[in-house]
Amino acid sequence: MIRFNAVSKSYPNGTTAVDDLSLELAEGGITVLVGPSGCGKTTTLRMINRMVEPTSGTVSLRGRDIREVHAPELRRGIGYVIQHAGLFPHRTILDNIATVPLLLGWSRKKARARAAELLELVGLPEEMAKRYPNQLSGGQQQRVGVARALGADPPVLLMDEPFSAVDPIVRAELQAEFIRLQKELHKTIVFVTHDIDEAIKLGDNIAVFRTGGKLAQFDTPEQLLAHPADDFVAGFVGQDRGIRRLSFVKAGEVPLRDGPVLTATTPVAQARAAAEAWLLVVDDGRRPLGWAPAAELPASGTLADASLVPLGHTFSLVGDSARAALDSALLSPARLAVGVDADGAVVGVADAQELSAVAAAEVGEPAANAEKADGDDR
Amino acid sequence: MSDGEPLVRWQWIGDHAGELADYTGVHLRLGLLPVLFGLIVSVPLGIACHRWRWLYAPVLTVTNILYSIPSLALFMIFVRYTGLTERTVMIPLTLYTLSVLVPNVVDGLASVPEPVRQAATALGFGPVRRVVQVELPIAVPVVIAGVRVAAVSSISLVAVGQLIGQGGLGYYITRGLQLDFPTPIVTAIVLIMLLALTTDALLVLAQRLLTPWSRNKVTSS
Repeated sequence: MIRFNAVSKSYPNGTTAVDDLSLELAEGGITVLVGPSGCGKTTTLRMINRMVEPTSGTVSLRGRDIREVHAPELRRGIGYVIQHAGLFPHRTILDNIATVPLLLGWSRKKARARAAELLELVGLPEEMAKRYPNQLSGGQQQRVGVARALGADPPVLLMDEPFSAVDPIVRAELQAEFIRLQKELHKTIVFVTHDIDEAIKLGDNIAVFRTGGKLAQFDTPEQLLAHPADDFVAGFVGQDRGIRRLSFVKAGEVPLRDGPVLTATTPVAQARAAAEAWLLVVDDGRRPLGWAPAAELPASGTLADASLVPLGHTFSLVGDSARAALDSALLSPARLAVGVDADGAVVGVADAQELSAVAAAEVGEPAANAEKADGDDR
Repeated sequence: MSDGEPLVRWQWIGDHAGELADYTGVHLRLGLLPVLFGLIVSVPLGIACHRWRWLYAPVLTVTNILYSIPSLALFMIFVRYTGLTERTVMIPLTLYTLSVLVPNVVDGLASVPEPVRQAATALGFGPVRRVVQVELPIAVPVVIAGVRVAAVSSISLVAVGQLIGQGGLGYYITRGLQLDFPTPIVTAIVLIMLLALTTDALLVLAQRLLTPWSRNKVTSS
C-alpha cells in the first residue's frame, strides 16, 4: 500500500531526519510511528503526501511513485489531521469539512451534503454546522479535523499527533471514537505519536524510531512488548511493559476459582465456618455487594447485617482484559479480583499471583500471540 | 479675525449648501481613492514581502522614507509631471498609505496560525489558492485596521492639496483665511472630521460583515 524504499532525508545543515528507511505499510490497518522527539517520525509521515521530499529513495502509494503525481492533487486524495486541528477560522464548521470536496470541484450543494454526513459520523450535533471554529472546544475542533480529513473519502489517512493537545479525558474519548470509526471505515492510517501507550492502544503495527531517523523495530504491539529488538526499544516501551502486555490477554482467558462467595442471606455462623479472612457477599442474582471482613462479623444474624467494605471494581469476562483484572485485584481489600459475566453476576475470583501467571505463560509463546485479542481494553 | 465677527454664520452655510456638498464629494474622492490605490499596491507587495522575507526590510525602508517627505515637497515634484490636477494630490497620498498598509498586510498574513497554513497545504491547496482562499481572508481584520488609519489620515491630509488648488474642503480654509472670515474655516474643519469619523465607522461595520468569524469567541465544551 504505502512503501518506503531506502528513503533518507537530510538537511543542508547536516542533520539527518530519516536514515535509509525501508518499510511497507499494509492496506486497511493502523500503523503507528512512534519515537522520541527528533526521531524523524513526522518527517516520515510528511513524505507520504510530499510535504517533505526525500533526499534519496522512493515512496510509493499503491505501487505508484508519488513523485509522479502533482503534489496538491496527491494531497486531496490523502486525509491529513494535525495536532491543533488547524481548522480554517474564517469558514463555518460545515465549510471546513467540505474543503476537499470543494477543491475537487464538487458543487457546493453536494459538498455540503457530504459534510453534513461527516459531521454526524464524527459524533457532532447538526447545529454545530453553522458555527465557526473558535466557538468549539478543543476536542470538538479535533473531531471536525478528522471529519475534514475524511472529506473526499480518501483511502489513506495521515494523523500527526492528533490527540496530544487535548486533556487526558477528552483524549481517551477521541481515541475510543477513532477506533470505532476505523472499524467502520477500514482506512489505511499512518499515525504519529510520541506516546507509547497511545501507540499500543491504537496500532495494528508499530514502527519505533530512534533519534537520528533510524527505524528501530517494526512489529505488532504484542511482539514489541514481548520481544523488544534491543535496549533502546525496551527502554522506550517502558518498565511496565510486562503489565501492559496483559492488555492483549482477554479476561475470559484468566483462570478463576470459586472463592468465598456467599449470599447476603447466609447465617453468620455458616459464614464463619468458611474460615476465610474475607467473604464476598452477593445478592440473589450473584451480583456482588461488597467484602465482609471475617474478623468483624456480627455475633449473630445473617451477612446482611455485616458491615461491608466496597469492592474497588470488578472486571468483566466479556470485554475487559487481564490488565483490568490485575488492577481489580490490586484495588480489592481482599486482594482478590472479582470476575463478573455480562449480567454482572460473579463468576469467580483470582489473586494477583494467579493473574501474573497468565502474563508469564504469554512470554513463553510469542507465536501463539501474534493476533491481538479482540476483547482487549483498547 | 475682526472683533464682533461670530465663529459661525449659519446664514452663510445655508447659502452655500450646494457648493459645500460638491466640495465634500471632491474631498472624499481625493481622500479615499488613494487608499484604494494604496491597497491595490500593498496587497501584492505585502504578499511578496511575506513570501520572501528579505524583501520586507528594504520595502519598509522605502515606504517610510516616502512617508517622511513633506507633502508640499511631493506636490511640487509631481506638479512638473501631472500639473495642477487631482492626480498631483492623489499620488503622494497613495504613497503615504503604503507605510501603513504594507506592514498591515504582512502582519495580517503573519497572523495566520501555522497549523492552519499547514492544514491548507496538506489538504491540497496550491500556493496561489492558499493565499487567496485561506491566508488573505484570515488577514482581513489586521488589514482593515490599517485601512482605517490610512483612510482617516488621508482624508485629513487632502486639505494640504489646496496649495496647488486641489484641496477639496481645504478650499474653504484658505478662502476663510484670505477673507478673515471664520465661518468657512470652521465649517470645513467640522466637515472633514465628520468625513473621517463616518468613514472609520463604515470600515468598522465592513469588518464586522466581512469577518463574522472573528467575533463570538465563546468556547462551549
